[in-house]
This record gives sequence, structure tokens and C-alpha cells, in this order.
Amino acid sequence: MSEPFLVAQDLHKSFNEHKAVDGISFTIYKGEMFGLLGPNGAGKTTTIRILSTVLEPDRGDVTIGGYSVRHKSDAVRRLIGVCPQELALYEELSALDNLVFFGRMVGLDGRDARAQAEAHLELMGLAERAKGRVDKFSGGMKRRVNLAVSLMGHPELLFLDEPTAGIDPQSRNNIYETIAGLRGEGMTILYTTHYMEEADRLCDRVAIMDGGQIIAMDTPRELRGQIGPPDQVTLEDVFLRLTGRSLRDMKT
Amino acid sequence: MDNFVRPLLVVLLQVRIYLQDRADLALSLLLPIAIFALMYGAFGETQFHGTAHVVNDDPRGNHSALLIDRLEEVDGLDVQLHSASDADSKLDRADLLMVLYIPEGFSGNLTSGEQARLVFRQRGNGGDEGQIVAGIVRGVAEEMAQEFQVRSQVSEALAGSGMDQTHIDVTVQGFLERERENPTVTVGEDIVGGSPDLVNKFLPSIVTMFVLFAITLTARTLVEERKKGTLERLLTTRLSVGQLFVGKFLVNLSRGFIQALILLGLSYAVFQMFTPLSFIESLVLAVIFIAAVSSMGLIIGSVARTEDQATWIAIFFTMAMVMLGGTFFEIPESGVLNVLSKMSINTYANDAFETIIAEGGTLADVGLQMVVMAGVAVVGLVLGRILFKVMPGGR
Repeated sequence: MSEPFLVAQDLHKSFNEHKAVDGISFTIYKGEMFGLLGPNGAGKTTTIRILSTVLEPDRGDVTIGGYSVRHKSDAVRRLIGVCPQELALYEELSALDNLVFFGRMVGLDGRDARAQAEAHLELMGLAERAKGRVDKFSGGMKRRVNLAVSLMGHPELLFLDEPTAGIDPQSRNNIYETIAGLRGEGMTILYTTHYMEEADRLCDRVAIMDGGQIIAMDTPRELRGQIGPPDQVTLEDVFLRLTGRSLRDMKT
Repeated sequence: MDNFVRPLLVVLLQVRIYLQDRADLALSLLLPIAIFALMYGAFGETQFHGTAHVVNDDPRGNHSALLIDRLEEVDGLDVQLHSASDADSKLDRADLLMVLYIPEGFSGNLTSGEQARLVFRQRGNGGDEGQIVAGIVRGVAEEMAQEFQVRSQVSEALAGSGMDQTHIDVTVQGFLERERENPTVTVGEDIVGGSPDLVNKFLPSIVTMFVLFAITLTARTLVEERKKGTLERLLTTRLSVGQLFVGKFLVNLSRGFIQALILLGLSYAVFQMFTPLSFIESLVLAVIFIAAVSSMGLIIGSVARTEDQATWIAIFFTMAMVMLGGTFFEIPESGVLNVLSKMSINTYANDAFETIIAEGGTLADVGLQMVVMAGVAVVGLVLGRILFKVMPGGR
């Protein structure tokens, strides 16, 4: 196994009385694709917000590339890229302008930002619409731009928070292939999704969260093996067994 | 180097977004022009123009006719004759606030050497226009009285000299007319600073009130960023919160400055109410005031979580500061209101703009006001940054 790249230790985060993250610890190794699964309100997005330096944990710490998110957040931000669950784009501007702007924000100079922006839009199948305003794009195209922005600066660690939620199959497939390609290039990725078969196929290991805690963590095959022959059960079976079948419409 | 470049990139981004929204762009540029047009309509008439409402109960008297003629000769003054009953009923209904009554026997009394008396009937103080008209009427009446005394004394002095009375009257009349046309004593206005234009009384308040809109706009830029999700995304990049604040601050400073430039520039071009120096000094003041207001907007943007919250908090502060800043009414020299007014940034801005625009002062005369406004700008930026950190979800 390669060297640890992200080490989270005893993370806690509460909002008023609600414990969103309740003492989780895990390690992601360099080049690994790590899936974070859980029902709505399990604490996945809060965890990503802590890991990406947006939120400070109430207790515990995370080191990324050896830097603490509490004490060296500037250094951490040089290593990460974040694709948030909700679209985070300037929709009045073109796709290219969005990518170039965020490229400049992650430290690229103008020429590199433009070159990378064009390459990423090509990768996402959006080269021909590079100069189109984002607010004129379909939901799937916006999702692809959202992912492309997070790749600017070639981050060493990429956080993908449900990047394929609610989009058409073609866009989902494009994103899926892109993520598979990034994984193949050795990028370290933390991935959350509700699509269990995606996690099963893409992730080296997955952690299942519920109620702010990690209730299981292993390779998809090992997790499947916990409830039956690994080739006959799915990760979704494991997920439902561990988290129950009750609906989770709680406030996140 | 990046510390300077990133805020500028935020500025450029905001400008591009601003230029994309044609309606927003048009409104923000048209607003100062619209305000100027209103100002021009309201105050564009530089000379006083009023009406003297007169009831002449001495219709056959030559002196009453002369008084009315003289009033009609006054520049900017119209004379409107009313019957007594018409004037009384209009005064009762407050359609008129002041009426000049020329009583019966006015001319006869003057001719016979008795005291002749004019009467003003007015509601309350007669209104601003009524008081000005009354002052003009008094001046004309005193002039006529003096001329009448001159005629009487000359006639008296020459009585028994054998000179023809008609010749005396014509000669004296000619002398008096020459004196009226070319008076021995004249009064001139030597403007040593500022502008004599009526608009200078109102421009400072209009400028400060207009600039205060920047509070809402600044607060909204931060909240809009939060709503789009781009704020959180920016916080995961190498852009620091301080750089983000500086960028947002500079954007709003620039926008406010362009609007103030349009408003003050049009005032300069149309009303000729600035010297080149006082125009530049006014722009300097505008920049400092916009800086103070923008940083207050950042405080609100750090606290508010929705655009509605930002807008209403900003409106509350804007209205409070406008009220306490003496924009709509005079603040007393002492008392609680005076103390409260010191807490309004508008008070200092209004004082400073009045000093430069209306009183012909210089920046040296408004040092205290500039220091207070600049202080608010700096403290506002720091406080906004602290609030951004301590508010839920802040960093």
C-alpha cells in the first residue's frame, strides 16, 4: 500500500445540538479512490467541507499531504480540488471564463489557466460550447463544467461530492469515464455518490457513514463478503443492510 | 504579487458579470442621470420666481396703481389681482398663503400727507415664497415712500419761488427715474467660493443619499456569491478571505465612484457649480465616503445569509443614517438627536460635501470628517472580516 495522503483523526462537528460528524477517523492513501457513502444527512458533505478547509472541526484534525487543515489550511488548499454537490459556477459567464477564473484562483498564470481550461473542456466534451454562457447549458453540461473547474491546477487530491447527481445518462457516463481516467492517472480521489454500482466499480475502498459515524470501511469486495458471497450480493445490499430501509428525509 | 493580483481578478470578474447584465448596467448608470434630471427640474431655476397676490381696495388711486406697476417691474415677480372676497376664501382654503391688501384711501392718505398703510394677510408665516414676496413689496413700498418725501420736500422748499409747479414735478420725477435706473448706491455679489445656485443647498444631501445605496449593493454581492455556491468554492482555492474582501470592496468602490462621477459631473457641467479644484475635492470626498459605505456593506454581507436579509438590513441602516444625518430635516445644535446624529456616517459626509460644494471650503476644512469616514472604512473591513469568521459556516 502506498503512503497515507489524507489522515482524518477523531473528527467532530456539530450544528447547534445536531452532531453532523461524530468522531470519524480514516486514511486515504496516495493514488487511492476512496468512496464515502451514506444516506442523506449521514454527514458526508460536512466531512468534505471539513477536509476542504471550508469548515473547522470542533474536535480532531486532518492532515493532507502532511499539512493540518486546522493550522496549515493555505498549504492544504494548494493540494486540493473540490467539486461541490451543488453547482458553484458564475452562470452569467462562459464555461471557459469560469474555468480560467478558478484556474487563476488556484495559482495558475493566465496562459496556463487558459490552456488547462481548454483541455478540461475538451475532456468533458464541451470544447464547442466553451464560449457559451453557462446559464444556457443543460443540467448535465453544467455538471460537467462543475467537475472541470475542480480539475484546474491538477490537484493532488480531488473531492467529488455527488458529481453525477440528477443528470442525463450521457453526461453521467462522460463524468464516470473522466473520473475513471483520473483514477488511472493516479490522482487521489474522495468520492461520494448515491449510485452504489459506481462506487463498487470505481473505488478502491469505501466507507459507509450514518448518523455522523463511519459504520463500515473496507474494499467493496470485502464489504459485499460480509453479508454473502461477494459475487452474488451488491454494494447496495450491504448499504441497505447497514443503514436500514427507513426513508432519510431529515434536514441536512 | 498574488496578494494584489487575486483581488484584482475578483474585481475583473465582477465587472464582467456586471457588464453581462444589461438591465443592471443600464439602471445603475441611468440612476444618477435620473436623479440629476429630477434635481434639475426641481432646482434648475436659479432665479427666484414668485407671485404677489394683491387685493386693491383703492382701484382709482394713482399711488396704488403706481405700486402695482412697480411690483410688476420686479424681475421674477408676477402680480395677480384678486377681489377681497376671492382672496379671503382662498386664504381660508389655504390656496393662498399670503395676500397684500391695498386699503381704500391709500393714495388719498399719501397725497394728503397722512400715513398710508399696506396690510399683509397670511396663513402662518406665509410660506417661503410669501416671505420673499413680502420682502420685495416692503422694499418697493419704502422706495415709493422715499420718493414721495423727496417730491413733497422739494415742492415745499420751492413754494413761493415763482417756479412752475409742473416744471418742478417733471424735474424731480426725471431725477428720481434716473436714480432708479442708475442708483448712487448699488449692491453687488462677490462669490468667494462655492456656488450661489440654489442647487448647492440640496446637492450634498442627494450625493450622500445616493452613495448610501452602495451599502445594499455591496452586501448583496457577498450574499449572491454565497447563494451561487461560488463563495464556498472560492474558499477552497488560494484566494484568502481577506483578498476576497478587498476584491469586493474595490468593485463596489469603483461602481459607486462611477455613479458619483456622473452625478457630480453633470452638476458641474449644467449648473457650473464647481471650480476644477472643488470638483476634484468633491470626488475625493466621494471616494472616501463610498469606501466607508462599502465596508459597512461588507459587514452586512458577512452577517446576512439571504439576499432578502442583506437588503432589509441594508435598508434599515440606510434609512437610519439618512434620518440621523440631517438629509430630510435640520438636526438641532444640541440634545439627544444631535448626539445620535454623530453616530451617522451621513452627518460627516453631509458636513463635508456642504463645506466643499455650498460654502466654497477645501479638503483642509473637512479633515475631521475625512478621518471619521476613512476610519469607518478601515474598521468596517476589519469588523466584516471578523464577523465573516465567527458567523456559522464562516472561516
